[in-house]
Amino acid sequence: MRRTITLLALLAAPILTAGQVFAADPPKPAVAAAAAASTAPAVPGLWLLTDYPSQTVRPGEATTIRFKLQNSGIAPETLAVSVDGVPAGWKIELMGNGQPIAAAMAPTNDSVALQLRVDVPKDAKPGSQNIVVHAKGATQSIDLPMTLTIGKEVPAKLAIKTQLPSLIGTSKSSFDYTLSVTNDSGKEMTVALAAQSPGNFQTTFTEGYGTNEISSLPIEAGASKDIKVKVRPPQEIKAGDYPVLVKVSAEGATAEQKVTLQISGQGALSLTSKDGRLSGEAQVGKTADYMLVVGNDGTAPIENVEMSGSVPADWKVEFNPKTLPSVAPNEKKEVKVSVTPSEKAIAGDYVASFRAGGRGDSKSADYRITVTTSTLWGMVGIGIIAIALLVLLGAVARFGRR
Amino acid sequence: MQREGSPFTGLGPVFIKELSDHLTSVRMMVLTLFVIVFGAFPVASSLQTLRTVVGADAYLYLRIFTIEPEQVPISFITALNFIIPLMAIGLGFDSVNSEFNRRTLSRVLSQPIYRDALLLGKFLGGLMTLAVGLLALWLIVFGAGLLLLGIPPRGVEVARAFGFLLVAIAYGGVWLSVSMLFSVVFRSTATSALCALGMWLFFFILWPMIANALVLGFAPREITTVDQYVGIQQLAIALQRLSPGTLFSEALLGLLNPETRTLGFMLPQQMRGAIPNAPLPLDQSLLLIWPQVTGLIAGMIVVFAAAYVVFQREEVRA
Repeated sequence: MRRTITLLALLAAPILTAGQVFAADPPKPAVAAAAAASTAPAVPGLWLLTDYPSQTVRPGEATTIRFKLQNSGIAPETLAVSVDGVPAGWKIELMGNGQPIAAAMAPTNDSVALQLRVDVPKDAKPGSQNIVVHAKGATQSIDLPMTLTIGKEVPAKLAIKTQLPSLIGTSKSSFDYTLSVTNDSGKEMTVALAAQSPGNFQTTFTEGYGTNEISSLPIEAGASKDIKVKVRPPQEIKAGDYPVLVKVSAEGATAEQKVTLQISGQGALSLTSKDGRLSGEAQVGKTADYMLVVGNDGTAPIENVEMSGSVPADWKVEFNPKTLPSVAPNEKKEVKVSVTPSEKAIAGDYVASFRAGGRGDSKSADYRITVTTSTLWGMVGIGIIAIALLVLLGAVARFGRR
Repeated sequence: MQREGSPFTGLGPVFIKELSDHLTSVRMMVLTLFVIVFGAFPVASSLQTLRTVVGADAYLYLRIFTIEPEQVPISFITALNFIIPLMAIGLGFDSVNSEFNRRTLSRVLSQPIYRDALLLGKFLGGLMTLAVGLLALWLIVFGAGLLLLGIPPRGVEVARAFGFLLVAIAYGGVWLSVSMLFSVVFRSTATSALCALGMWLFFFILWPMIANALVLGFAPREITTVDQYVGIQQLAIALQRLSPGTLFSEALLGLLNPETRTLGFMLPQQMRGAIPNAPLPLDQSLLLIWPQVTGLIAGMIVVFAAAYVVFQREEVRA
């Protein structure tokens, strides 16, 4: 009982000190107050301080208890530190900066961090053990009593949450969900990451802003880490909502978070000819008809598909029908295109570009048109030769002599 | 006085005799040598150039005829444009008047052979001789191509090259009929040779200049519209085409350069949307050059008809 009171007094001392400082000089600016607190503490003295004087330890494990030696306004002094009341079989060591120590010295108005490494044997019986940390100098001697309770292991616990559980995109986009995983248990754990997704979805995990794909990551006790889940739906997927269950698990503890992909459909027009051949013939000045096929390889219907074409100068191009009201996914519609080369066109190959443009997508196809000229002038040439031969025959008939 | 029987009676013997005379004559040897030197030299040079060219060419064989080799600034068809008239004139300039001067004409015509058959037989004999020479040259070109390029020609290339051979024969026929006309008109062989060669030189050297001068004379002081410009260009081309040499080279251009789309004047807007360097199909190329070929064949027939008319009215007894 008396120990508890001593402990309370020790704990209360710094709080009271700070309170007195601020209470004494309320109008002083904060910086001046802080300076006053560090240079001229109201309660001079030497303390051993720890956050949790009563702690839980587990059998078969090593627990590190942090405490410090605080010097407030007195001259530095070497203090021999020791631990009293170590139960049989236990191993308690005083550590400073990771090394076993036997003495500590705190500068004036400063503190020295110390650790108590407690090795509890596996067969330790449940119950509480009281230990006292002593610090003893030439003029000063202080104690820090602590209570260590053999406790059961706190079960591992994980939590996972996300700010944006539902994202919208098309079948071509990738969905990035940022999730924060918290380790609520008393020790560091390696957390395995998994995702349950429908069909052929591709899920990859990356850490925070990293680029490396991971399958698990270590999280310190009480800490949380951000992971990123990238979900890629298959391109041919239909529009709709798709849930993905992200699961984290470690040492029996699991947590899961459902994220949703809202895939909106997207149309993808295709434009080709009926037999796949993108070339044709046309005679100068005469209309040639080609059959085009407008298709939709996408996942959503495309509405109001308008046909247009660009042809060489003075050529004519007409589409029948000119507009398709709607092209459903996997539907193919035929469009007749009539191309009339100009009267003055020269024989040879030309490029005509046909375009199908609807709401959301458009596609164009280059069509190679071989223009042929009429054979009429060839006939005229033969006629001219025939006339020349007739002239010759006429001469033979007129001038032929015996 | 109406004649009896066919006018072509005796055509065969005249043709055969004329052909054998030509093929055995020293003149023919000289002309052959001439053709080989003039024709084989550009071909050898162009083959040398083609062998160094890397890259696929669909019409490699036709390039033998058309490319201008680096060493010799003359292509095969330019050389032919030059030597075919010379050959034809050499074969025809004395066909009738030499017979007259040797006083053999009346002796021949005393046989059952009409004048029609004589003139036509002489013409066909000359044309056949010319064809034999050109065919030999053509085969040399193909053989050299096979040897030096190491790849066989494609069918369409052979077809185009064969068309080239026919056009070349027709072109030779024009000059043959011209030289025969002069040999009928003039009694002296020297005069007829001079006139034929003069006409050849006129069309080769003088006519392009005269045509240009004529175009300049017809052209308005200031060209304001596109139509005017097109009209002037078309006039210039039409005048140039009065020369058989122009018709020949245009026809060869269409045949041996399959990429040729037009031989006339073309506005840029007509080329819009056209795929450059796309070869025309053979039938389209033939349609393209058909007017030129027509001009050559019809010209040949008309000049021959003129020679016939003059010959019929001539006094053959010396």
